[in-house]
Amino acid sequence: MSGLDDEYAMHEPESDPIQLDDEDADDVQPEPAQKPKKPRASIYDALDDEEDEEDEDDEEDEDDEEDAGRGKKRAKHRHKRPAVNRFLDVEAEVDTDEDEEEEEDEAGGDEFIADAGIEGDEDDVNRRAAVNARLDRRERELNDQDLAKIAQNLHERYGRAAVRYTGDMNEVPQRLLIPSVHDASLWQIRVKPGRERDIVFSLMRKAIDLEYTAQPLSILSAFQRDSLPGMIYVEARSAQQVNQACKGLVGVYPSRGITLVPIEEMASLLQIKKQDLTVTPGSWVRIKRGKYQGDLAQVMDITENGEDVGLKFIPRIDLNPKDDASVDGRKRKKVGSGLSTMRPPQRFFNYEEVVKVYGRKQVSKRNQVYVFQNDTYKDGFIEKDFKLNALVLENVNPTLDEITRFTRGQDGAENENPVDLSIIAEASRKAAISVLQPGDHVEVFEGEQAGVHGVVDSINQDVVTITAIGVEIDGQKIDVPARGVRKRFKPGDHVKVMTGQNADETGLVVSVSDNVVTFLSDMSMQEVSVFSKDLREAAEVGSGTNIVGNYELHDLVQLDLQTVGVIFKTERDSFRVLDQNGQVRLVQPHQISMRRNSDRAIATDSEGHELRPQDNMKEIDGEGRKGRVLHIHQSFFAFLHNRDITENGGVFVTRARSLASLAPKGNLLKTGTDLGKMNPAVAGGAATGGMVGSGTMGRGPRDRDIGVIVSVVKGAYKGYVGVVKDTNGPVARVELHTGNKVITIDKEKLYRRHPDGKLTPLTAPYNPNTMGPPRSTGGGGFGNSARTPNPYGAGAAGGRTPGWGGGRTPNPYATGDGKTPAWNASSRTPNPYADGGRTPAWNASARTPNPYQDGGKTPAWNASARTPNPYQDGGKTPGWNTSSKQGGWGDFGGASPKPWGGSSPARPAESNSWDSSLQTAPTPAAAPTPGYFAAQTPGAGYASAPTPAGIMSSVGVLSAPTPGVSGAVEDEYCMWLTDAEFTDRKVIMEIVGTHTHNWSNGEHEGKLGFVNSVLVTANDTVVHFHLLDDGTAITIPASYLNPVRPNAVGDHAMVHEGKYKGKEVILNSKESDNTWLVMQPEDVAGLSCETQQMVKLYVSPVY
Amino acid sequence: MSTIPSQAKSKQLRACLLCSIIQHPMDFRKNGCPNCEELMQMKGSPDRIGVCTTTYFDGIIAVIDTESSWVARWQRTSKYVRGMYAVRVKGRVPDDVEAELESRGIKYRPRDQTDQD
Repeated sequence: MSGLDDEYAMHEPESDPIQLDDEDADDVQPEPAQKPKKPRASIYDALDDEEDEEDEDDEEDEDDEEDAGRGKKRAKHRHKRPAVNRFLDVEAEVDTDEDEEEEEDEAGGDEFIADAGIEGDEDDVNRRAAVNARLDRRERELNDQDLAKIAQNLHERYGRAAVRYTGDMNEVPQRLLIPSVHDASLWQIRVKPGRERDIVFSLMRKAIDLEYTAQPLSILSAFQRDSLPGMIYVEARSAQQVNQACKGLVGVYPSRGITLVPIEEMASLLQIKKQDLTVTPGSWVRIKRGKYQGDLAQVMDITENGEDVGLKFIPRIDLNPKDDASVDGRKRKKVGSGLSTMRPPQRFFNYEEVVKVYGRKQVSKRNQVYVFQNDTYKDGFIEKDFKLNALVLENVNPTLDEITRFTRGQDGAENENPVDLSIIAEASRKAAISVLQPGDHVEVFEGEQAGVHGVVDSINQDVVTITAIGVEIDGQKIDVPARGVRKRFKPGDHVKVMTGQNADETGLVVSVSDNVVTFLSDMSMQEVSVFSKDLREAAEVGSGTNIVGNYELHDLVQLDLQTVGVIFKTERDSFRVLDQNGQVRLVQPHQISMRRNSDRAIATDSEGHELRPQDNMKEIDGEGRKGRVLHIHQSFFAFLHNRDITENGGVFVTRARSLASLAPKGNLLKTGTDLGKMNPAVAGGAATGGMVGSGTMGRGPRDRDIGVIVSVVKGAYKGYVGVVKDTNGPVARVELHTGNKVITIDKEKLYRRHPDGKLTPLTAPYNPNTMGPPRSTGGGGFGNSARTPNPYGAGAAGGRTPGWGGGRTPNPYATGDGKTPAWNASSRTPNPYADGGRTPAWNASARTPNPYQDGGKTPAWNASARTPNPYQDGGKTPGWNTSSKQGGWGDFGGASPKPWGGSSPARPAESNSWDSSLQTAPTPAAAPTPGYFAAQTPGAGYASAPTPAGIMSSVGVLSAPTPGVSGAVEDEYCMWLTDAEFTDRKVIMEIVGTHTHNWSNGEHEGKLGFVNSVLVTANDTVVHFHLLDDGTAITIPASYLNPVRPNAVGDHAMVHEGKYKGKEVILNSKESDNTWLVMQPEDVAGLSCETQQMVKLYVSPVY
Repeated sequence: MSTIPSQAKSKQLRACLLCSIIQHPMDFRKNGCPNCEELMQMKGSPDRIGVCTTTYFDGIIAVIDTESSWVARWQRTSKYVRGMYAVRVKGRVPDDVEAELESRGIKYRPRDQTDQD
């Protein structure tokens, strides 16, 4: 009964000093009520107490499952009840004699046990006497006892409780407490999740129980952490001891391993910090579960024990309850009829609305508060108590939007005392530490250094070293806690948002208030307010991401059946789209039905040229905007983009018909076709002549080989005949006549099959096909087709020599040279060729070689040539005419009667057929045509034109103009001109070989010039060539150009071959006949270069 | 030694803000804090218990051998009685206790692990 003794001892001395207050002992305080009693009573009381405690424990168990609020009330109640019980018990006992007996016993000392059994009725007098006696005795005892002794007793008995708190270990820094090897180890043991606490308690109890047994537990401690579920840690010297301690405990799994915790990890196990669960009134939380899951709420108050939190948030009242009763006017609420599938939207409480739906009875008003369905509503907000664990306290991250809603309140009016943004800031401050970077401009806003601002120098965990900027401590480095600084921005700064909803926005700061920075977004031109912690100074102008959902900037998107548009701006979750009508729409991704692909779309521009996406075009009317074609819609609308245009992000829409190409590149090919298309006369003429393969025309000769009938001369398909369907570089797809099969085959293996069965290499570019007609398989005769005007057009597309003129003519560039009229005139005139072609005579002549001469002399020819030809007007023709006896043919570019005369006899000798002669001989068309001649010459001056005789001599009758030769030339010409290194390098070239080909009458032969630019077309490489002598610019096939070698010290040159290819060098000294020591401008080291590998550079004279 | 609470799961358990011992509030009321009652004066005073102890603690340590346990030393509970201690206790002792500690020249270390040195 040591326990009882304790109780006895504890109560007896205590009761005495307090006895004086006995009479007015407080009901609530149990102890004073007890204290006056004698030890015996105290014993019972103690027992009672214990019983009570057990009861209470049971109750507490129940309470665990109950609401804390209620628990709290009950707890209070509980605290009182035992006191009352005791009091009542005492009263009840007083009624019995036992009490008196006991008191008497006390007075009497030892006999109380013997007297305890005595039961009997005593009168009041007796009782009072007893009480008096007791009081008297106490008095005596008090007097007897030395007060000092009492104090000593007190000290002895309460020795521990009264031990002076010294906190002697508090001075030791934590780091000196880290475990050493002499300390016992920590062992990790798996336990049943959820039972960690129980097991730790069990271990404690077990240790106490076994303390004085034969086998005491030798573990030193055990602990669990809430953040480490499913494991406990036991401190012991060996795993064996741990095992022993855990033996027999339910829920411990020593079999799953008792793991030693490394010594360096021991401390951290005890240092695990759960995120602080700070709830202060005014702070923001989110609701974890239920109807308001995820909703932001503001803490209004917290109960003392911190378990219940009064929240205020925007209610979600179902204003369309699934209550069919409301139909008949009797509105009833259905509480607990199950959560409706849809969550009602957040909406401020509106009395009228709610009453309308639920009826007046459901809503009662008390003071300023409405009560509806057991919830209270005030100022539109619902006010409700939540348990702390039903709330999300961390990472609440309230957005400004949400907070503004709160602030705005019910009426949408601005609240007078707006929500304190600093609360959010407080919450996000910790995060702010991590976003600081050296170099950031910061401002200290709390602590001793508040107000100081500076540049972050370094960051060491929570301490930021900043270099202060300011009057007095300028330049000093000071350490401040990271939480006390915030990034500093000033109006005018250009910032970028790093995180959050507005991430990647950039803009110009317009105002700063504390830690909220308002900036004008570069993207949306709207003001955006963000926390300074989310900002960074940035020079870049971010358009943000260009991709939203599946759609990207500059995508062509279908908005509805009739409307398409191009995205010209992406915003956070929407697009700005320019539709084909030029209207700007703001669309959400879901409003877009699909993305359209216009990669293969084509349209026709104002000149009838083909227009494709990515082409650079220019408006011919309106504002004359230039731009790159982004998309083409229905071959009618073109969406263009130009960075220089600010409106609509540079995207504009226009009609394809009002566009003109900016670049000649790639259009040359199409010109011929388009010319033909545009010119009804030609088309008509062709049709009447039946010479033009309409298919060829219609298809648009992307490749002159397409449509050609070919024979395969090599490989598995040798001997097969087919039609070229498509070409791609060196390979062609050929549809075989037999088997209806399409094969892909090298062009080299293909030979052109002429109607007469002859085969010519397909790859020979200058065979008559260049002129077009031959490949128009429907051509009535070669003669015809060769002389039709179409050849010029077609030739322009495919061929070289005549092609140039043709190609140039419609071209805007060419127009400047005034060549077009001739062309147009000639091509538009009711075609003499066509006519000629139709004349029986012509046809007849076509079958004989002679007709060349004859044909050349036909009045028709002359007429045609003269009509359009301005040269005659220019007075140059006379010369020609004189030199040539046949006026018209004379104009045909030096195909003077003589050569023709001379050559033609030979031709018949070679072959009787037109075909053959066409293949080899310069047909009129192949020879410099009037058109071509016209195209080239105007500026050049006729005086310098080569004489027919010259041509004669160089032509060498048949050979030169043959396609074969040209083909060879193609391989010879300076391919390096097209290399990137030579772009825009003015290399000096010499025109060579025009005589041979009768190109431009050979009038430029031997001239020097420099290359302005090089254009590579499908068939040819042409050079914009700047003549040195008269400064005129001409366009010339690259094949006629030979590099001019540098020849003097100091000459600038480009190396076009060898290992130094592409380098610009300056000639330094001559090493040998054909090598030079050269220097590079940027490098002093000399190189040795062969003259043959260099080409002279044009150095513009210094004026 | 302290009274070991019988119910480990009880949410009623409270930890002393100064010494971090965990007890049932009844035990605090009956016996006070076995370590720092002198300062805390919790015995018989529920109000005092309310301010000097808290239910917000994390991790429970059963300190069996106070003197030799490193865990106890780390937690600075070596000189205290055997019993259950919290690893971490949120909150600070009342101002009067803090003032008293200061007057005695004792460094107050909150048990919330906010300042480690």
